[in-house]
Formats: sequence, C-alpha cells, structure tokens
Amino acid sequence: MADRREEILRKQQRLAEIRRMREERRQALLTNRPGQAAAAPGASTRPSAPGAAGRQDIDDLVASLVGERRGSLSPTRSRAPSISQTLAESGRSYSAADAMRSGSVSPIGEELVPGAAAAPAPAAPPAQPVIPEFSTFDAVILDLPPKERLAYSKESQTVDVAPETFVIPEEEIERRVQEQREKDEKARHQAEEQERKRQEELAKQRQRIKQLSEDEKLTIEQSSEFTDFIDHSSRLVERALNETYDFMTDYTIGQQGEVEDGASDQIKLYCCFADERRTKNRSVTDVAWSKKFPELLASSYNRNPLAVNEPDGLACVWNVHLKDRPEFVFHSQSDLLRVAFSDFHPNLLVGGSYAGQILLWDTRAKSEPVLKTPLSAAGHTHPVYSLEMVGTQNAHNLVTASTDGVVCTWQLDMLAQPQELLELIHPSHPRTDEVAPTAMGFPDGETDVCWIGTEEGNVYQVNRHDRADSKAGLNVHEVYRGHGGPVTGLHFHPLFGPVDYTDLFLTCSVDWTVKLWRARSPSKPSIAGHRTTPLHSFEAADDYVYDVKWSPLHPAVFGSVDGAGRFDLWNLNVDTEVPVLSTPVGTGRALNRLAWDKTGRRTALGSVDGNVYVYEMGDLVVPKSHDFAAFQRTVQDLAAPANNATTSGIPNGSSVAVAGTSMGLVGGLAERAYD
Amino acid sequence: MSELDETIQRLVAKKGVKGVIVLAKEGSAVIRSTVDEDLAAKYARLIGNLVDTARSTVHALDDQNDLTFLRVRTKKHEVMISPDPNYILIVIQNPQEH
Repeated sequence: MADRREEILRKQQRLAEIRRMREERRQALLTNRPGQAAAAPGASTRPSAPGAAGRQDIDDLVASLVGERRGSLSPTRSRAPSISQTLAESGRSYSAADAMRSGSVSPIGEELVPGAAAAPAPAAPPAQPVIPEFSTFDAVILDLPPKERLAYSKESQTVDVAPETFVIPEEEIERRVQEQREKDEKARHQAEEQERKRQEELAKQRQRIKQLSEDEKLTIEQSSEFTDFIDHSSRLVERALNETYDFMTDYTIGQQGEVEDGASDQIKLYCCFADERRTKNRSVTDVAWSKKFPELLASSYNRNPLAVNEPDGLACVWNVHLKDRPEFVFHSQSDLLRVAFSDFHPNLLVGGSYAGQILLWDTRAKSEPVLKTPLSAAGHTHPVYSLEMVGTQNAHNLVTASTDGVVCTWQLDMLAQPQELLELIHPSHPRTDEVAPTAMGFPDGETDVCWIGTEEGNVYQVNRHDRADSKAGLNVHEVYRGHGGPVTGLHFHPLFGPVDYTDLFLTCSVDWTVKLWRARSPSKPSIAGHRTTPLHSFEAADDYVYDVKWSPLHPAVFGSVDGAGRFDLWNLNVDTEVPVLSTPVGTGRALNRLAWDKTGRRTALGSVDGNVYVYEMGDLVVPKSHDFAAFQRTVQDLAAPANNATTSGIPNGSSVAVAGTSMGLVGGLAERAYD
Repeated sequence: MSELDETIQRLVAKKGVKGVIVLAKEGSAVIRSTVDEDLAAKYARLIGNLVDTARSTVHALDDQNDLTFLRVRTKKHEVMISPDPNYILIVIQNPQEH
C-alpha cells in the first residue's frame, strides 16, 4: 500500500510539474510573440502554438493571406496554363482544410511562407478570377487528353505488333546470344582442351603401341602360345563367318535377290572338305558322322606317297560350319582304313589301320592316339576293314575284323589286348578254310550275331559267342551267295518308323552290283546247309560299287557310290531297276565311302581324290506317310520272283535246298497274309 | 608359307572380310595386319581399350566369368574380336556380303 501511495504521490508531483511547465511556456509565448513576428515571420513562427491571446493575430493573418492569394492568382493565371492553377487551387484548399481540421499552427505557418513572398502584390477585385477560370478549364482539360491519347494509341498500334515481339525479346536475345557466346566459348575451350588431351593421349598411345621389330615379331609368331591362340581364335572367327544367316536382317527393307525354289528334286553340294597341306595326294578311306554333334564328321586317309615325313595314316574331324580346315587332325603310323566316333563318348574317335592296329584318339588330347593296340599276335595283324561299336551306354564294345579272319572285341579303355578273339574258319569250304572278311554289319539292336562279307563274295552269319544251338564263329550252314567278287560294303536296314525292316541288308561288291538280302533270323538258325539268294540285285552301276548305305530317314531309300565317281540314290518305292538320281561327284574319281548324317538330310562322300563331299539331299529322302507300307509291298514283290527263281533255277537241287525254298515261300506267304 | 600366313590368307579370302589384325597383349603392338598401318594402330588402341572395358565389365558382373568373344555389330560392318589374355585377333567383315 505504501508503494502505491508513493507512486500516486510521484505521479501527482509530475502532473504538477507538467502543469507548471506548460504555464511557463504560455508565459514565454505571450512575451516573445510580438517581437518575433515583426523580426522574422518565416523562420520562427513554426514552434508557436495558437492561443486565446493570439487569435486576433491569426485572424488578421488569415485575412491578409486571403487577400494576398486573390492577388497572386491573377498574375499566375496570366502566365501559366490553368492546370497548374487548378493544382495550386486544390493544393491550397487541401492544405487549408488540413489546417482547420488539425487546428495546428504549423500548416498555417507554412502558409505564411508564400504569403510573405506574395505580400507585395496588389490586391485584386473578387469578381476577376471567376471568368478566366471558366474558359481555361473547359477548353484544355476536356479536349487535350483524349486527343493525345488517340494519337498515341494510333501510333502504338503499328509499333505495337512488331516491337512488342521484337523489342522486348531483343534484350532477351541479346542476353541469350551473350550467354550462348559464352557457352560456345567455354565449349570451344573445353574442346580445345580435350583435343589437346587427346593428342597427348594419342602420343602416349602411340608410344604405347610399340613398333615391333621383325625379330620380335618372329619370336612371338613362333611361340607355341601364339600358335595356339591363332589356331583357336581363327577357328572361332571362321565358324562365325560361315554363319550364313544374318540375324540383323531387316525384313522391313525390300530385299533383292533370287527366290529359291522351295521343293527341289535335286541334291546340292553343300561343301567339300579338304586340306591343301594335309590331305593332298591322299585318298579318303572312310567317313563317319558324330551322333552327339551332328555337325561333326570324321574322315580317314591313307598315306601320301609324296610326303615321306608326314604320318602314313590320317584322320580329320570336320565341322560343317568350318569348311576350310579340320577341327581336329589325328595321326596314325599306318594307313587308316576305317574311322568311327564312339557313340557313347563324343570325345573319342576310333580307327582301324592297314597294319591291323586299332587306335583311339581323344579330341581333348593332341593328334597322337591316346591308346593303340600293340602290333602283335594278340590282336590284328592284317588290315582292319571292319569296325563297329555295339552295345549300350553302359555295356558296349568295339568289334573289329581283319582280313585274316580274326574278329576281336575290345574295351575302349583297354586296347593292350582284346577282350575276346575269334578266328573265323570255314572247314567245309571246297578250296580253303580261310575266311577274309572285308565288310561287317550288325542289325540294329543286335550285339551277338553279325554278318560278314568276304573277299570271295559270300556273306556269312557269325556268332560271337557259343550258344545252345550253335557254336561261336562262322555259321557255315548259312551262305548268302550272290556276289561274284569281294564284298565292299554291307549295311543293315536301320530301325526307325512304324515297321521293322531290320532283317533286310544291302551289300555291294566289285562285281558292279548292289544286292538286297533278307537275313535269316539268328534265333532260328538252319542247321542244314542252306544257300540264300538275294531278294534283288541292282545292276545300274558301270564300275565297282564301293559302298552302300540305307537312308536313316526314308525306309525305301539307299545310296551307293562307285568307282566311276557316281553317287546313286535309290528309292525302291519308285523304281527298283534304276536309281532315282545319279550324279557325278567331284573330279570323277572313285568314291570310296558314303555316310548319311544323323538326320538323313546330308550325305558325306569320301573320294579317292582326297576330298569329302557333303551333299544336301533335299526332298528326295523325305518319306511320305504311306512309304512305310509301300516299302513292305515292294519288298514282297521283290521277294516273290526271287523265291520263284530259286525253285526254278535249281531244278535238281538237293532236298535240303528244296526245303529251304519252301521255307522261304512260306515266309513270303505269311508276309502276304500279314499285308 | 607359315601356318599364320595361311590362316590369315584364308580369313581374308572369305567373302565379306575387310581386314584381319593380330595384336599383342591389350593392343600394345600390332603383330600382323592386312589393313594400313595407321588404321591398324587405331584399331589396336581402341579395340585394346574396348576389350579391357568389356573384360572388366564381365568380371564385375560375375568374378567367376570371363570374356571369350566380342562381336561388335555396326551399321557398316561387324568387328569380330577374339580376346586372349595375351593376344587379340580382330576380323572386320561386312555381314551383308554373305
């Protein structure tokens, strides 16, 4: 409370003080006023405040001012346009009102300044300012501004369009140009910089790209590493180059080019495999396709009499995508006669040589054989003209036959000695008991019984093992007689399609003929001597027929090659007397071997001139649905006259022969009934 | 004629092949070429870099992997590059001339 009281007291004191001060100021004002107004009216009237005492003075002042203004107006009007006058008027009235409203002296004091300046002007009569005000007001204010505006807008209309787009962007453009210029400048600088850097880099690179001297180059070129690299990489590139299909072909662009006939009854040479350096002066002795890699083809060669330093025997693996050189080259000490891919090991290649050696090469190894049989009485000592892989993936053997009548069975991983050795003899033969196999064939799926073609022309059945009803070795009771010369090829009908023809086989011989036979079932061997004649003899060739093979695609098609260099394609459903196609191959020199590829669309022909010709078969080998049944009929038609011929051909034959014939007839009848 | 010459001759004789260049390690030197020297040097430099880049890319994607072949298809031709750690074989061909 005491504080509060004190505060109130303090405030009261201040109030009293303020009041006192105000009183003092009023006193001072009253005493100073008259002198000041007389001495300097413009400078010191500002702080003065209106008071009751000074009102008279103010009234006087106002009266004088009004009078002054009236007087000042006339000269002003006469000199300047009325705009300024009206402005002055309005300004003045405004300030007057302001002064009245606030009631302060300061505006009035300001008013005093012009007033003092205009004081000497004489006072004008009050009626005078009204008339000039009228005339100037109307004439100028109303007329001039619209006129001017109209003129202006007209002008701007024309200028408007262009300049607006032109003038305004001009600065912008200028700016942009400037910017662009700067940018360009920068870019050029950068480019120059880069160019310089590049040049430096180039110079560096040039230094990096060494100039090799001839010696250095020679050193590199002779290093085995480099040779291997070139061998491998060029192979890759060549395969890529051989790819005829361009996967970048743009079919939206019109392509020129001859339209190829889709279906053609012609066969076409696909490629010819030869190696100038390796296979020159050699003959192809065998050809064989790989089952695992359908594009690979092996060929074997005999010796080159002109190159004594080269190995005598040669085997090449060719790739249909690499036409200019072999994928692999393998060597043998002796001329190679037969070659085959192992059906169950895609890397392995087996060969039979003239010296009787069996060789095994591995594509993962070098060109020398990884395994070979010793040249001893344990194995073959005569040329191996027959070589076949039999069995399955898990149990398979290599069966070989040499011309001294030895049939050997080998395990591929153990060639030191044969697993089995069988000597073929013909004890009841009128002249000699020796048998010289020159061709051998197993029916599809058969591993135990095979048929061999011999030098004398007969074909015999051979049992590899002893059985309940027959001993191992040559079945002397079963003679397939027909050829007048050495049998050069023997091939069983492969198993495919809806009908099983695996009892049919073809043989070819140097007697210029190809013969079709029906093998007697190995499970029902005839104990008594029996002479089987061919179902048919194809006698279109004019030379030794060197090889014959069934097509793996068409049941009635087979191919044969002969010593005149002709390749004959037979289709028994079409014609049994002449081939559907006979074409000269290559240089016209003898063709040694023939092999169909896995698909049956291509054949490889091995020629004596050292070339392997691969032909594309076209539509000739593509079977129609009725071909299987038709072939059955064809075979029956062929078999019937053959059987008749047998009966009529041997009128005074032994009872055994007659019995055999009747059996054949029964077979034929049974077949007819089945059909 | 050496085997190398034979190989190169055979490649050049192929339809559409414009040139064959054999380079040393990473394009550091031209061992053989059938094109003029400047172009071969250019190829050596650029393809060397390209092979490096491609190889490191393949390695970066899978460190168990390695680059084995490069085919660069361009509007005008195709460059087939067989890269080896120590050498590079380049074959330039026009695939339209098959």
